[in-house]
Amino acid sequence: MKQRNELEKIMFHPTGSDLKPYEWMMRPTRQQEWIDDKGLFLWLAFFFSEIGAGLYFVSLFYEYKAGLILGWLITLVLGGIIHVLYLGMPLRAWRMIMKPNTSELSRGIWIIGIFAALGFLQIVTAGSFNVVFNCIMGILCLLIISHGFATMNVIRALPAWSSTMVLPLSVISGVWIGHQILQFMFAVSSSAVLASGMEVWAEAFFFVYFLCILLYVWGTWHSNEIGKESIKSMISGEVSKISLIGVGGLGIVLPLLLTLIMWGGDTNGFLIFLRLASVFAGDLAMRYVIMKSAVYKPLI
Amino acid sequence: MPRWGMVIDVKRCIACWGCTIACKEEHFLPPRVFFNRVLIGETGKFPSSSKLIYPILCNHCSDAACVEACPTGATYIREDGIVAVDDEKCVGCRACLVSCPYQQRTYYDQKVKDREYFPGQGKTEMELIGEKLYPLKVGTVIKCNFCSERLDEGLKKGLEPGLDDDATPACVIACPVGARVFGDLDDPDSEISRLIMEKKGKQLRKEFGTEPAVYYID
Repeated sequence: MKQRNELEKIMFHPTGSDLKPYEWMMRPTRQQEWIDDKGLFLWLAFFFSEIGAGLYFVSLFYEYKAGLILGWLITLVLGGIIHVLYLGMPLRAWRMIMKPNTSELSRGIWIIGIFAALGFLQIVTAGSFNVVFNCIMGILCLLIISHGFATMNVIRALPAWSSTMVLPLSVISGVWIGHQILQFMFAVSSSAVLASGMEVWAEAFFFVYFLCILLYVWGTWHSNEIGKESIKSMISGEVSKISLIGVGGLGIVLPLLLTLIMWGGDTNGFLIFLRLASVFAGDLAMRYVIMKSAVYKPLI
Repeated sequence: MPRWGMVIDVKRCIACWGCTIACKEEHFLPPRVFFNRVLIGETGKFPSSSKLIYPILCNHCSDAACVEACPTGATYIREDGIVAVDDEKCVGCRACLVSCPYQQRTYYDQKVKDREYFPGQGKTEMELIGEKLYPLKVGTVIKCNFCSERLDEGLKKGLEPGLDDDATPACVIACPVGARVFGDLDDPDSEISRLIMEKKGKQLRKEFGTEPAVYYID
């Protein structure tokens, strides 16, 4: 049996699940390219671009330059470099600007390029928090936050990604984590009053985030049979532990407890840090689970 | 300009995998890379169950999801309807691969290139010759091209694709039962058009709206 498994591994394309080689596209077949092996880079790239833009977005409301700089750097350095590392031909990455009319990836590159230039201008100029400038940057941030999931959302072949709740979930998760990073920055930079004042938004963002996850699961389950398969594999498949501990425990239960403890603005640095670490891990897990459990419809 | 397409008669197909092997030979494909596959399944329950045999390949869709997804224009539709990949433009983002509902593309990386048909024993002469005759670019996406090299060469010689072997895809020539017919979908008098009309040719997963150029009849 062991020998047979070894032979299967050598001769057939690994399906990345308990699917047998002869069941490929005969049963719902998992997407692998954007999450397995080097695909993990893409998962991290989407995550960092989005939380960086989220931090930038929230910092605009507080006119907090350190938040802008950190958000800008996370989006471009972490998000950008990891994105390029994922490519098979990184030196040709510039070519990705060529098809903004049809390709979501190409549009994303344009938006990130404009964000990089205008963001730099905003950071280096003295009167940078002009209302019009803020509005433009805010829109760009929202577009970057939703870029990763928007790229996945247009893929009609994967119902778990083309769900209508994918975009709202991505926007709220980017803003929620950006907000948490900023709250932590305030908490550690002797702006405890600001950190405490932000708590009311933390409560709101957390509940909207939780609601979006519920609606995503419910919507995908009811979309069609293949969507249902994806949700089943999230709950009882190979990623079930990540769903339960990562998304459920770290993304929802622990932040809920910490939010309840800090309810009404009774914040402290350690609890804010704990919640930031928890939602950080929870959101990474949520993205991983969504990317890993997307399945294609069988061909016959 | 013709629009090339294929009709596959699933009643004739005997699942010999001749098409799969011919395709691998034609393109010198490494282990685990297939441009042609045969899917075998069952429908219904015993005693009224029946076997399903579907040879599959790139559908060369006229509204291809892969072409839309490609951010560089590396994947494009030729004038004759063939969906091709320009490996000089491909950045290896694999957006095309993920967006294809038929999963007919392969990412060709160093790991794939290094695979041997006899693991641990080095590459055979055939594999080494293949790398020279049909060089595939590492870090790009590869796929079925309806044997466009054969087609183009054949057309230059004045041959007729679908009728003359030297201008017809390898899988069509190799099929021992004549289950595959290749020809011009835009020509109402071609055999392929006649078969699609008479036998009500069906496309795979029409609901994705990709307008495949490969039809199945039974």
